Amino acid sequence: MVKAKTVIIAAFSIVSLTSTLLLIWLSLGWKVRKARKAFERELIKQGMSKEDAQRLSEFYKTLKDQITSTVMSSFREQ
Amino acid sequence: MYKIEFLSRTVNKKAGTKGGGNVIEERKKSRKEEAEEVKEILGVVSQEVPALIKGIVGAVFSEEAGKDMGRAAAAFYRELKEGGMPEETAVRMTENYVGVFTSLGNVLKGAVGKGKIGELAKEDIEEEVAKRVRLKIAEKTGERTEES
Repeated sequence: MVKAKTVIIAAFSIVSLTSTLLLIWLSLGWKVRKARKAFERELIKQGMSKEDAQRLSEFYKTLKDQITSTVMSSFREQ
Repeated sequence: MYKIEFLSRTVNKKAGTKGGGNVIEERKKSRKEEAEEVKEILGVVSQEVPALIKGIVGAVFSEEAGKDMGRAAAAFYRELKEGGMPEETAVRMTENYVGVFTSLGNVLKGAVGKGKIGELAKEDIEEEVAKRVRLKIAEKTGERTEES
């Protein structure tokens, strides 16, 4: 009985962890987009052209890719 | 009857206990403890890991963070422009300035990726300790030869 309870709780923890990570990964794209737009807006306010501001905000995408690959690789290693 | 008694004695001898049932009970107990440990670890991991990742993501990828970073880059760009820097150079320099944030990702990758920083630090500490021990031994042996 105790063993079954332990297995159920462990399975629940794994499912909860996986679903939370999936949710974070899905919402990440939206958050990056919002941050990028806010960043571009501030640069355009100071007189920078839209094209230059967009080019500068590319670093957000790079940073997102780096963080995602870091997290994924740490999970793969385990 | 004799055979059963002999088998029981052999089991007890191997286990080093008085009763054969104790071995099974101990195994059961240790398995139960292991399962409990796994349950506890999973419980903590499922709470702490998402919170940690959420914190990192929230600190970098939020509207407020983007606005702050944009303000910093814009102030840098404005100062360059006011200082009489040509447009193209000012944009390129701002690009380099913003590129510093990207290198943060590399730092994170290096730190989390293979634990290189930790390993290097450990090696350095070991080397330093070995060096100091050697020095102390040399000092002691030097003192002894002087005394004699």
